[in-house]
Amino acid sequence: MSSEQQPSSAGSAAPRQEMLGAENYVQLVDIRKEYDGFVAVDEVNLAIRKGEIFALLGASGCGKSTLLRVLAGFEQPTRGEVKVDGQRMNGQPPYRRPINMMFQSYALFPHMSVEQNVAFGLKQDGMPAAQIKQKVDEMLGLVQMGAYAKRRPHQLSGGQQQRVALARSLAKGPKLLLLDEPMGALDKKLRSQMQLELVNIIERLGVTCAMVTHDQEEAMTMAHRIAIMDAGKIRQVGTPDEIYEQPNSRFTAGFIGQVNLFEGKIEDDEKDYISIRSPDLPAPLYVGHGVTGYEGMEVALAVRPEKILISKDEPEQPHNKAQGVIEEIAYLGSHSVYHVRLPSGKRVLANMTNVRRWASESFTWNDQAWLSWGDQSGVVLTS
Amino acid sequence: MNAVIGWLRQRLPGPRWLVIGVPFLWMLLFFAVPFAIALKISFSQALIAMPPYSPIVEWNDTALTLKLSFNNYLYLIRDNVYVSAYLSSLGIAVVSTAICLLIGYPMAYAIARMSPANRNICLMLVILPSWTSFLIRIYAWVGILKNNGLINNMLMGIGLIDEPLQILHTPLAVYVGIVYAYLPFMILPLYANLVKLDHRLLEAAYDLGAKPWQAFIKITLPLSRAGIIAGSMLVLIPVVGEFVIPEMLGGPDTLMIGKVLWGEFFNNRDWPVASAVAIVMLALLLIPIMIFHHHQSKELESKLS
Ligand SMILES: Nc1ncnc2c1ncn2[C@@H]1O[C@H](COP(=O)(O)OP(=O)(O)OP(=O)(O)O)[C@@H](O)[C@H]1O
Ligand SMILES: [Mg+2]
Repeated sequence: MSSEQQPSSAGSAAPRQEMLGAENYVQLVDIRKEYDGFVAVDEVNLAIRKGEIFALLGASGCGKSTLLRVLAGFEQPTRGEVKVDGQRMNGQPPYRRPINMMFQSYALFPHMSVEQNVAFGLKQDGMPAAQIKQKVDEMLGLVQMGAYAKRRPHQLSGGQQQRVALARSLAKGPKLLLLDEPMGALDKKLRSQMQLELVNIIERLGVTCAMVTHDQEEAMTMAHRIAIMDAGKIRQVGTPDEIYEQPNSRFTAGFIGQVNLFEGKIEDDEKDYISIRSPDLPAPLYVGHGVTGYEGMEVALAVRPEKILISKDEPEQPHNKAQGVIEEIAYLGSHSVYHVRLPSGKRVLANMTNVRRWASESFTWNDQAWLSWGDQSGVVLTS
Repeated sequence: MNAVIGWLRQRLPGPRWLVIGVPFLWMLLFFAVPFAIALKISFSQALIAMPPYSPIVEWNDTALTLKLSFNNYLYLIRDNVYVSAYLSSLGIAVVSTAICLLIGYPMAYAIARMSPANRNICLMLVILPSWTSFLIRIYAWVGILKNNGLINNMLMGIGLIDEPLQILHTPLAVYVGIVYAYLPFMILPLYANLVKLDHRLLEAAYDLGAKPWQAFIKITLPLSRAGIIAGSMLVLIPVVGEFVIPEMLGGPDTLMIGKVLWGEFFNNRDWPVASAVAIVMLALLLIPIMIFHHHQSKELESKLS
């Protein structure tokens, strides 16, 4: 957790974003899905760009799979509209949609060989046999499973099954590829390798992709943009770094990575700065930009642990600082996380890279330490 | 006996011996031994004596003679009655197995798709009739099918027919009885198979462009093959030798090997011919099954290698 969750190299969406095509290629308009009165998904509005990898991220039971199934056509939404490439999908059965899905458990047909599995969709389209053969070979080559064409699914490892499932869902050249927990059945090591490979394949083909995951690291690594879901609703949509750096609510700030939340009231609301008085801290909180709010408004300031500096001496700045006692130190290799208890009882997490830890001042348990952060380091949350 | 068990114990390790031994012993006592006896009798000649057949091994003076008489088998081939009885038994069995499959498959499919609570009720309803004696249930069909029985009275009551239809003692009645009696044996293995079918495989097929009926043909049907074979065997094999149903519901012209066997044994008291009839029937059933089985295990091996 913590700074590892920051966008990694594969998740640096900015350069790749330029390759993306039309906005609104896939559109979900005000989708609501009820199961006998129970609302599984509500008020969902999303637009996915052509060629984009879009992740639905949320805790178990938040409705991500339901949303994916609405896209695939296995569930009809109670309300709202699904559009792909300008075409309305509502009422269309799954077998008429230009959408293919890679199932969580892969759902490979056990009585068919790898080859036949991949060919299934093409045969359904009535493609001539010679062309099917060529396409199947191409797809199996793409996922490096050419040598296994004659095998049955039960003779393959989990990772190999996943490759076959991917080849099968890509064979028809869908306008939208759906991935339900694509790494769910793989062990951790294979997972991170397959994440990058999957992104590579999807980007090479330029296929638009919506994926579902409950693993934030996976969403951050693979997706251009992420939608955070909670209790059937979408809480925030953005690139991995937007979501991490600019959470729009206490929920998303807490959901992705670790965060320190200082609750308080706006004391001073100016054009280019605000100050917040928090009962957690003796010094006022100072934020170097204006917010749409008013004096006395209840807000929270979210500060990530890696933005907080630990020092022996009192920092010179008059605000954004506090003194406390180090209660715990968690050594995580590249950095350590310090748990600091403030006099108010508030516990604050602060990271220090281990380069610094050894180089200069070192702290141990029960040491007094000063915490401080810059006026651009926090995000003001109003909801 | 102790020596035999001791010998077996040495060859086979303890708990494994139990697991393999019990069904093995069962098969030995109730299949292999009776089969051997029947086989032996089938090679002897009928006598008016007790037992009513000649011994096949004899100790005369100083010579041990084994006399195998193939007369009974030749007799079966020569007399048209037996050949046509075999053929018509097989024909009736194949047709009624097919009917059971046609009726049983949709029923098993529907039950497998129900909610667990309804599922149990329906399975119960399938099994419940077999809690009554088989004989009584078949006898009940006499009451339903006879000329002044339930069906005819009802049809005449609503004025659809003026004279009773002859249903009892026709081939139709035999089929009705067989299908009724053996349907559960088709439904249960099919149900056990279909209930395991992963619904996501069907979704995957829809997703790849298969309409529901295409998904059924390409996914459900091939994956339920084992259930179809098991159910068909459970119906086909006993129906070939069925005696009670053709006897009670069939007419004089319904020729089934079970009836012939009964006649040879109880009416003619010709044990050797009766035994030969039984052995040939078993061979007719076992040989195709064994060929099929051999074929299937070979296929499985080739898939695995
Ligand atoms: N067929 C159904 N009938 C009734 N309720 C359902 C059905 N399918 C899903 N739900 C409910 O809808 C909610 C959302 O389910 P969904 O499967 O979309 O969750 P999820 O976000 O994919 O969770 P997970 O990560 O555990 O897969 C859950 O509370 C679930 O119980
Ligand atoms: Mg799910």
